[in-house]
Amino acid sequence: MVPGAPALLTAYAGRLDPLSDVRAAAVEAVRWLVDGADEVRVWCAPLSDPDRDRGVTVAQGERIARDLLGAAAFGGRVSLVEPGCVDAVPVLVVANGSARRSEKAPGHLDERSHDFDAAVEKALADGDAKTLAGIDLALGAELLATGLHGLRALGQQQPVRTSLDLADDPFGVRYWVARWSWS
Amino acid sequence: MTLKLGRQEFADDVTLMMAIVNRTPDSFYDKGATWAEDKAFDRVVEVVEQGAEIVDIGGIKAAPGVEIDAAEEIRRVGSFVGRVRSAFPDLVISVDTWRAEVGRVVCAEGADVLNDAWGGADPTLVEVAAAYDAAIICTHTGGVTVRTRPHRIEYADVVAAAISDTVAYAERAAAAGVDRSSIVIDPAHDFGKNTFHSLELTRRLDEMVATGWPVLVSLSNKDFVGESLDLPVGERLLGTLAASAISAVHGARIYRVHEVAETRQVVDMANVIAGRLAPKRAIRGLA
Repeated sequence: MVPGAPALLTAYAGRLDPLSDVRAAAVEAVRWLVDGADEVRVWCAPLSDPDRDRGVTVAQGERIARDLLGAAAFGGRVSLVEPGCVDAVPVLVVANGSARRSEKAPGHLDERSHDFDAAVEKALADGDAKTLAGIDLALGAELLATGLHGLRALGQQQPVRTSLDLADDPFGVRYWVARWSWS
Repeated sequence: MTLKLGRQEFADDVTLMMAIVNRTPDSFYDKGATWAEDKAFDRVVEVVEQGAEIVDIGGIKAAPGVEIDAAEEIRRVGSFVGRVRSAFPDLVISVDTWRAEVGRVVCAEGADVLNDAWGGADPTLVEVAAAYDAAIICTHTGGVTVRTRPHRIEYADVVAAAISDTVAYAERAAAAGVDRSSIVIDPAHDFGKNTFHSLELTRRLDEMVATGWPVLVSLSNKDFVGESLDLPVGERLLGTLAASAISAVHGARIYRVHEVAETRQVVDMANVIAGRLAPKRAIRGLA
C-alpha cells in the first residue's frame, strides 16, 4: 500500500523532493511486492467526476501506481481493477488517510481526522482485517481520505504477515506505506 | 554543449553567475569600493557565499580614463588571482583583460577564463588561452578602440553583426587550440553600441543562442538599462533583472553581475517558467 499523493508523480517533480522519505519507502515496498511477479493489480480511487469533466482520462492513483512501479523497475503487466478478493497476483493499493489533519492541511482541520486515521493505522500495523473491512466510507470521504474501497477489500482476508513501513503527515495528509501478505 | 571553464565542467542546462570583482579605483558602479586588495578579497568571499560559480576579476575600468599599462594591470590582478585561487581551489576564476601579456600571468596564477571584453583587440590572447587550457569569452564591440565610448555608431543589423563577429572570434580561438567546449560568446551590451542596439540584442538574444555557442550576457546596471528607465547608476537593479529575465528566457548561460543573489532568483524563475528548470520544491495541491 502506498499513498495517493500526486507529488510522487515524476510529472510533478521539483529539484527538491518534498516527499523523499515517503517515496523511498513506497518504492522499496513496491519492489518487494513485485519481486518475481510478472503481473500486478492496482486498486485505487477511480477517476473523479470533476477531473473527468476537466478532460482527464486516467485516475491520479493509477498514474502514481504506474510511476512507482516504473521506479521499482517492474516490467510486467499492470491492470487496474475494482478492489475485490486477493489471490496469487500481487495487489498495489493506492490509498491514504485524511487530508484534514491541521489548519494548513489541504482540507483544513477536522478534529475527527486523527481518530479516524489512528484506527486505520493501527489496523494496518496489526493486520486487523476486521477493522479495515469496516472502514466508514462516508466519514472517510468527508475527511478527504482516498482509496478506502481498496482498504476495505484488503480486510476481506486475514493476512499472515504485516508491516507498517511508514506513517507520517508532513503536509496535513496521513500517508502510510504498508505490506500485507497472505502466504 | 558541456561547458568547460578551466578546472570545472558544467552541464548544458546549467546557468552560471559570474560575479564582478573590481580591482579598480574608478569603475562605474562600485567607484573603488573593492580597490583595496582586502576589500576585493572580501567581495570574493561574499559572492561565493551568495552562490556565484565564477568571479570575474578586472584591473581596468571599461570607460575612458587614466592609462593603465600592462605592468600596472598585472600589479592589480596577478597576485590577487593567486590569492583567490589558494583560498578557493574549486572556484572558477575569470579575468577581464584584453591583453595577452596579462592573460599569461593570471593563467599562471590559476585563472580559468579570459574574459576579453574588447573583442579580440589583442589577437594573441587566444594563444594564451590555448596554452593554458583556459576558456575565453569572445565579445562583440563592433571594432571600436579599447576603452572608448560609442559615438554615432551604426549597424545595418546589430544582431547579425554580433553573431558574425563573435562566431568568427570563436572559430579563431578554436583554430588557435582553445577547446571548443571552453569558448563563450558575448554580445557585449553597451560596448560599441547605443541603447537601441543593446535593446535589440536583448530582444533577439535567441538568435545568438541558436549559434550553439554558450552565450554570456553582461547587463548589470549598464547605461542601456539606465537610459531605458531614465535612472542613474545605483537605481538600475530592477531594470537589470528584467533584462536578465528576458535573456534567460532566450537561453543565456552566464550572467556577469554585481548582484548575485537577486540575479540567481530571477534567472531561475525565468527558466522555471520557460520549462527548462523544474520548480525547486512543489507541494501545493499535490500533497
